Amino acid sequence: MADLTAYILLGLRALMAVALYGFLAWCFLTLWRELNQQASNLARQRVPALLITQEAGGEQLRFATPEVTLGRHPSCEWMLNDDTVSSRHARLVFHHDHWWLEDLGSRNGTFLNGDALRAPVVLTNQDRIRCGQVSFALQIEALPQTTQAQELP
Amino acid sequence: MNIPRPLRRLLPASVSASLLRLAAAFLGLFALALTLSPAVRQRSLLPLAELRWAHWLGVAVWVLALFWLDRRTREKLPNRDPFIIPVAGLLAGWGLLTIWRLTFEFGLRQTAWLAVSCALFVAALRYRERILPTLRRYKYVWLLAGLLITALTFFFGTNPSGIGPDLWLGCCGLYFQPSELLKLLLIIYLSAYLADRQPLMSGLLPLLAPTAVMTGAVLLLLMVQRDLGTAWVFIFIYTILIYIAAGKRRVLLASALVLVLAMIAGYELVGLVHARIDSWLNPWLDPTNRSYQIVQALMAIAAGGLFGRGPGMGSPGFVPVAHSDFIYTSIVEETGLLGAIALLSLIAFLVVRALRISLHARDAYQRYLAIGLAAYISSQSLLIIGGNIRMLPLTGVTLPFVSYGGSSMLISFFALLLLTLVSHDGVHRSAPMLNSKPTLIIAGLLLGAFALAALITGWWGVVRGPDLLTRPDNARRGQSDRYVWRGALLDMELQLLSSTTGGAGQYTRAYVQSSLGNILGYSHAQFGQSGLEDGLDPILRGEERQPAWGLWLSHILYGQPSPGLDVQLSLDTQLTLHSLQALQGQRGALVLMDASTGEVRAMASQPGFSAATLSQEWPALLSNQDSPLMNRAVQGAYAPAGILGPWLLAAARSQSVLPEPSGETSYTLNERTLECSRQPDAARDWDALVQAACPGALAQLGLALGETGLLDLYNALGLYSTPAVPLTQPSFSAPASLPRPGEAATGQAGMRVTLLQMARVAATLSNGGLLPEAQLALAVKDANGEWHPYAEVAEPKAVLSSVAAFSLAQKLAASDQPIWEMEAYARGDNDQRYAWYLAGSLSRGNQAPHVVVVLLEGGTTAQARSIGREVLLSALGE
Repeated sequence: MADLTAYILLGLRALMAVALYGFLAWCFLTLWRELNQQASNLARQRVPALLITQEAGGEQLRFATPEVTLGRHPSCEWMLNDDTVSSRHARLVFHHDHWWLEDLGSRNGTFLNGDALRAPVVLTNQDRIRCGQVSFALQIEALPQTTQAQELP
Repeated sequence: MNIPRPLRRLLPASVSASLLRLAAAFLGLFALALTLSPAVRQRSLLPLAELRWAHWLGVAVWVLALFWLDRRTREKLPNRDPFIIPVAGLLAGWGLLTIWRLTFEFGLRQTAWLAVSCALFVAALRYRERILPTLRRYKYVWLLAGLLITALTFFFGTNPSGIGPDLWLGCCGLYFQPSELLKLLLIIYLSAYLADRQPLMSGLLPLLAPTAVMTGAVLLLLMVQRDLGTAWVFIFIYTILIYIAAGKRRVLLASALVLVLAMIAGYELVGLVHARIDSWLNPWLDPTNRSYQIVQALMAIAAGGLFGRGPGMGSPGFVPVAHSDFIYTSIVEETGLLGAIALLSLIAFLVVRALRISLHARDAYQRYLAIGLAAYISSQSLLIIGGNIRMLPLTGVTLPFVSYGGSSMLISFFALLLLTLVSHDGVHRSAPMLNSKPTLIIAGLLLGAFALAALITGWWGVVRGPDLLTRPDNARRGQSDRYVWRGALLDMELQLLSSTTGGAGQYTRAYVQSSLGNILGYSHAQFGQSGLEDGLDPILRGEERQPAWGLWLSHILYGQPSPGLDVQLSLDTQLTLHSLQALQGQRGALVLMDASTGEVRAMASQPGFSAATLSQEWPALLSNQDSPLMNRAVQGAYAPAGILGPWLLAAARSQSVLPEPSGETSYTLNERTLECSRQPDAARDWDALVQAACPGALAQLGLALGETGLLDLYNALGLYSTPAVPLTQPSFSAPASLPRPGEAATGQAGMRVTLLQMARVAATLSNGGLLPEAQLALAVKDANGEWHPYAEVAEPKAVLSSVAAFSLAQKLAASDQPIWEMEAYARGDNDQRYAWYLAGSLSRGNQAPHVVVVLLEGGTTAQARSIGREVLLSALGE
């Protein structure tokens, strides 16, 4: 009969372990859910398209991917055949709700509205970019409606 | 979303409320287990009033305070991180119940502090918009104010516990430790300063200069106060913040270098640091004094093992300051490695959430603030947990949220408030980050450190656990002896020699034959075990000879061994007491053995002691030159000298190598002349010379037998093996060679034997040349009341032919009694004289043959003979 209390205590201890590890499991389950949600948010996140016009020649390309690389190398999104352009010259990236321009260590430099680039810079509509001696005009299309990342309650 | 449907249904609308509900369930179960624990400990049903109830007050306050706090936070800061409040709440509740379990009064105080902390948290929510900017704006004011208050402890400092550094301010039972607050103020100052400097950052120096001055001032203050743990936390926080701001890995390296140099300098210059580091590196050298805390802490972890003893079932109070510095070991003792991993995971989870909050922070100031708070929680947790498990030197800091202490609790909740505010602010717009790598590196390092702490806890709790638990300075053994029945020691006729009295919780050892202290031994909470109580301890304590499942069940249910088993000894109480009486006034010992079975009928050693009055006489017993605690019959090793002569002679005869006696009686060993023990008979034949124990004759026999002959003889007589009785004995092993057999045969050239070994040798003459195994424990009574043999006994081995044994015994026969006898003197190391006496019954019909061995230190052979004869004849019923 006295053993009964001991068995009850043992049962309580087992339940304690279940509650404790249940707590931790719940934490991780919720974290995983949050991660999932963020991933699907990112997947759904839409990039405002970028319309780039080469000033000499008037060639125009439209990009809806979040990353655009300019350079002479064939792997670049826009391959430029110009001696003043490095093989991977500059990159346009969309993050933090903005398009950013960064120089990829080019020989002749990247310029935004005439100023040489030292750090990544946010781009706005109608900005002018120059890679070596090749100049472009930029247009950023507006998104119909931006989806804000949903947070957990 | 890819969440399986059943799981999705489980996910609640409010994460924090569900987590809090789970935490409350855990604490409720914990409290219920704690309530029942006294009944389980005593293995009996107790009246309700004797169960534990007080801690339910703590549970009630926790439930009200935390659910209220969570609800108000959800209303006021809907976008806050939903995890940190439930996790911190669970930690606080776990600590609270552990403190209630340890000390009623501290539990009450901690409950009050929890209520106050939660109330202040909720009150501060009203100023949620203003708190962070205000803290930033007046950063120097806060820090200087903090320094000032801390400096006040120089003049008005006290220590609530009465001893130790005076780090508290306060009076009338209410104390506050300013250095706890100073930690948060430093974090606020550094975050604000670094955030202001961020745009101008060009090198380390402008970043370092003013912050280093301020941090240095803080450190100096703490060093002077000898609050080294807090100083260490400051260095840690400072390093992490500068590293995050500067992004240079050399900051970490430099800081590690400074820490190591400071440790070496402190080790050489500061006594306290020296002691702490010594007891960290070598705790086993001084386990009763300087390393007492850490050694006791490791034992508590070992007692926890994998699953723990269960709430209320352990003895965490054996570790000093268990409620604050050593709360981790208290938790591990009662919840085991399983609980330790959960606890470390909770803290690590909290730290990771804080780092995540920092990544999502709105601006640089809030980012640094969150990182600083993560550094504060993690460094302080790691320092004290690491100190508890011997991962780091011990420093007296608290475990945030968990440890006892009002200041610690208040500051922990203040940190929680700041984290909650930052997390609410940062959700939608997080500041861009130039370099996120340092944060990831810090997260990796911290998680690695927590994992290491879990591994080390497992090392002490599971791998090294069994060793630690059997240490004699583990008071838990004495504690469990009070709750678990210890088996009785019975003589050959099943009369009680030692037993257990009292009820569960008050069991004490009753020494029925208390005068046999140095044979039966004692089992004492403070002095441990000795004698047969020690040798048979696992059986008497219920750890051996139990069905495996019963043992396991007993451990898992009660955290204690099963009730112990009784052991039947071969001793005859009357003969043993008679022997003790006969030896009265001498320094010596006696063994009486049944020659055919090897069962020890009587064993006595004088001077002795009474196990019943051990506590009172302990210091006197320890300092007594005559070593009354020693059992001379098995622990004393003496030179055999000429007492082995008859067996040498029999061996030489049986191998037909016996020469003519040279007539030389004395022998010179190491420039010392050894003489016969008595004048040999006129015949001067071999028998006469051997009976007189003449060293010259023995040396001649040794040379005749040669090295191998002598080695084989000693081996066959069992002089190179330890008798298989459950008593502590010197260990014996055969030497590789005996280069001088003549010298060796004198028995005074370094060879040592015990009385028990000699009793086996003597038994050969009364037992037709057969050498029996010595037996002292005969049988063990299992839980069903059935007796089982203690051990398998090997068959006696023939050492002499029965004819040789018979003729030898006849040669040694006494003229007036039906016994043979042999006596000799030996010289000890310090030229002390020992008297040996061996005797045994001459075979007579179906009466059990007996032999007796007596050794007197400093006595004469005549005295030894008189004692031996008296005991032997009474055993033979003459």
